[in-house]
Amino acid sequence: MTPTHFTISSAFLLGMMGLAFHRTHLLSALLCLEAMMLALFIALSLWSLQLDATGCSTAPMLMLAFSACEASAGLALLVATARTHGTDHMQALNLLQC
Amino acid sequence: MAYIMLTLLIGMVLGVISVASNPSPYFAALGLVLVAGVGCVVLMGHGGSFLSLVLFLIYLGGMLVVFAYCVALAAEPYPEAWGEWSVLGSVLGYLLLVVGAGSWFWGGWYEGMWVPVDELIEFSVVAADSGGVALMYSLGGGLLVVSAWVLLLTLLVVLELTRGLARGALRAV
Repeated sequence: MTPTHFTISSAFLLGMMGLAFHRTHLLSALLCLEAMMLALFIALSLWSLQLDATGCSTAPMLMLAFSACEASAGLALLVATARTHGTDHMQALNLLQC
Repeated sequence: MAYIMLTLLIGMVLGVISVASNPSPYFAALGLVLVAGVGCVVLMGHGGSFLSLVLFLIYLGGMLVVFAYCVALAAEPYPEAWGEWSVLGSVLGYLLLVVGAGSWFWGGWYEGMWVPVDELIEFSVVAADSGGVALMYSLGGGLLVVSAWVLLLTLLVVLELTRGLARGALRAV
């Protein structure tokens, strides 16, 4: 595994672990999701650059567009949570708590 | 040049650790800006200057600015930075994990592996990544129309989610 490949893989996995082990805020989970999307963008760009396959350059552009859509949907949910529950703390989302 | 790339890659991993250790969102957004900036320079080091510019403009200038404004929703009187023990424990744990995983691989890393060799097969007017992105408008036109439709749909989804009053997710506000 080349150092670059190792870096982007570990960036993606660290973001995923941060998303899984988030503590208080919903927003920090969304930020970890954004870090995963960033690692994916850099991975797709480096793929097309290192293989000299210029046709693959459209993949990171489209991925960025869809990741923007996903970020805006997540932030709209965050705003809705903050306006109904008062905070974005995960403890406030206790509808399924037994 | 190899040392520059080494520094950048280490900076990227440290930045993602600073986001994944879940400090207060103020500092996590700062860490994400660092990761995006360093990632842009990594892309430039491999020759993808157009994609790096796109990342800077759209990701940092568009998405992260919106995230920074939404960080105001996560305001708390004593925000936790990376000096707090609960966050520092996560940082040290992730560092240990990355160094441990890296120790598996770094036996086989040699000098020439850090920076790719530029292959000047021919001289061209259009850079590689710019020319590739231009394909999105010619051969990939169908997918361009589909993604424009998806963006419009997302706009309507967001407006519906934050509608308030009777319908939508905000009921009594």
